[in-house]
Amino acid sequence: MSKMIFVNLPITDLPKSRSFYEAIGFTINEMFSDESAACAVMSEQIFVMLLTHPKMQAFTTLPIGDAKTSVQHMLATSCDSRADVDAMLAASTAAGGTESRPVQDLGFMYSRAFADPDGHIWEPFWMDPTAAAGGPPADAE
Amino acid sequence: MPRMIFISLPVADLPKSRAFYQALGFQINATFSDDSSACVVMSDTISVMLSTHEKYSQLTPLPIGDPRSQSHCLMALSCDTREEVIDMTARALAAGGTELHPPEDLGFMYSCAFADLDGNGWGPMWFDTSATE
Repeated sequence: MSKMIFVNLPITDLPKSRSFYEAIGFTINEMFSDESAACAVMSEQIFVMLLTHPKMQAFTTLPIGDAKTSVQHMLATSCDSRADVDAMLAASTAAGGTESRPVQDLGFMYSRAFADPDGHIWEPFWMDPTAAAGGPPADAE
Repeated sequence: MPRMIFISLPVADLPKSRAFYQALGFQINATFSDDSSACVVMSDTISVMLSTHEKYSQLTPLPIGDPRSQSHCLMALSCDTREEVIDMTARALAAGGTELHPPEDLGFMYSCAFADLDGNGWGPMWFDTSATE
């Protein structure tokens, strides 16, 4: 079976985060959601588990950090076109996200970045399928 | 095209972290790796990008946090069997990882948890797919 990943993110306001992830294009799997968690489905293999702090705290003995003041992870996700990258960015800022850095356009790759309402950074990107298969062109740097 | 995810993590010692993730059983995609980053392939659509702090700092204006002192994110990764969960965790601990909590056995689901060399939390897990249908 193909591997599945569940990216568990602590969030402070579950209804707000649920709406945010729906707004950027993901559906909520109600079977894995309740009043303490919501499962945002990105694909058949990729899921984001939005967890209230008490729920997250059940999985770790560490205090929950603030993703707005320091960064431990960034989540880059592929889009089918530049327009899809722009659309996800626009949806995120309309829904309460924040653009977190300028557009990066390398020609064969186009990426933008936004933070969700809790500061978790996402980087939607499009990559030329030829470059994705063979790697970036030698003259990219 | 199916959506892909690249989980981008800062690491203090890139060669050591490369070796750690290889010890877990994953391949490195050399095309997307260099002296400042390594692309760990978990599946066709799931990869982990390990980057040096220097490289990472070019990607974000925020300071890099310490996952050993604060939790921002935990990654749960499915395995086909309980044995694969146990094996991956044993490989992680042998390669310098740290157990985060004892195995959890719910019958229909079995999971372990370990931190990589920098403290990033991983939870390999198996679940009975018939239990979720």
